[in-house]
Amino acid sequence: MAFDAEAAARLAAGIGMGLATVGPGIGIGLLTGRTSEAIARQPEASGDIRTAFIIGLALAEALALYAFVIAIILLFVA
Amino acid sequence: MVAAEGGSKIVEALHELNVQPIITIPKVGPFDFSITNAVVYMWVSAVIIFAFFFIVARRLRKEPDGLQIVAEILLNFATGHLTGQIGEKGKKYYYLILTLFCYIMLTNLIGLIPKPIPLKPYTPTTNINVTFGLAIVVFFVTQYQGFRRHGARGYMKSWLAPPGLPKALAPILSAILFLVHFMGEFFKPLSLSVRLFGNTIAGHLIILVMLGLILQYASAIVIIPAGLFVVVMLLFEVFVAFIQAYIFSVLSVVYIESAIYAGH
Repeated sequence: MAFDAEAAARLAAGIGMGLATVGPGIGIGLLTGRTSEAIARQPEASGDIRTAFIIGLALAEALALYAFVIAIILLFVA
Repeated sequence: MVAAEGGSKIVEALHELNVQPIITIPKVGPFDFSITNAVVYMWVSAVIIFAFFFIVARRLRKEPDGLQIVAEILLNFATGHLTGQIGEKGKKYYYLILTLFCYIMLTNLIGLIPKPIPLKPYTPTTNINVTFGLAIVVFFVTQYQGFRRHGARGYMKSWLAPPGLPKALAPILSAILFLVHFMGEFFKPLSLSVRLFGNTIAGHLIILVMLGLILQYASAIVIIPAGLFVVVMLLFEVFVAFIQAYIFSVLSVVYIESAIYAGH
């Protein structure tokens, strides 16, 4: 079977995107768990905790989005 | 983002993400100044924000009415929640952050509102040029603050290794840290813009693919679950519009703050 660059790019986009969701998924899971623990322990600090949570959420989520952008480049641009 | 494929309705639906020129202006060198629907929506959201705060500011009352309550909530949100940690020195950036927040939220939401037919719906933040433009503003504000507060020497010094290290170790560590900080400063706007762009375009892509599926396979088995999914995703998009505006402004505050208090 000959090497098909387009098929390889699509395969890479799909597999890469799937793998890239694993890390942020674990991260966001840990983050949410710890946040609920912290809020349950100290409900009066929930505002500050939530801000830190959302910043962490954004940072974890961005990793998947970088892969998403790469996947789009692989599919449509390259 | 155009994939030329034979007649697939799904691919056709993705063409919604293309900008549509309304008034075409001939190119000047590499620059295309054509007025597209994206530009129109950006202008519209800017005008809405300006008009809203202008009208509210003109008729301030002791007993606030509807509009003033919304404005006061936004202002309290900006001064307390968004920029709470920036401190006295960064007080004048309340307004920049509030404007960024309102603008991003409105541009995120404006694509979700159904429009009359001649103007294609478009979310300006699904275009990386828009989000990068916003991030560049934050980048320049950050660097300006860094250079103004500490001077060029002081600001560069804050990137180097902290004092009190062994003589042999300090230069090597300084070189590495300088490189890391230098690259980090340029990755900040990049990550800001890619985060906003990725979040908005991912939601829109999913909605459009689902709509394309409905058009492609016009049968109840597809239409009912896909239609429900689109409704849920649209609701989620409203939530994402707020969260992303919030994240963009909070991270801008963090970046500006890190420049103001560099080396502490």
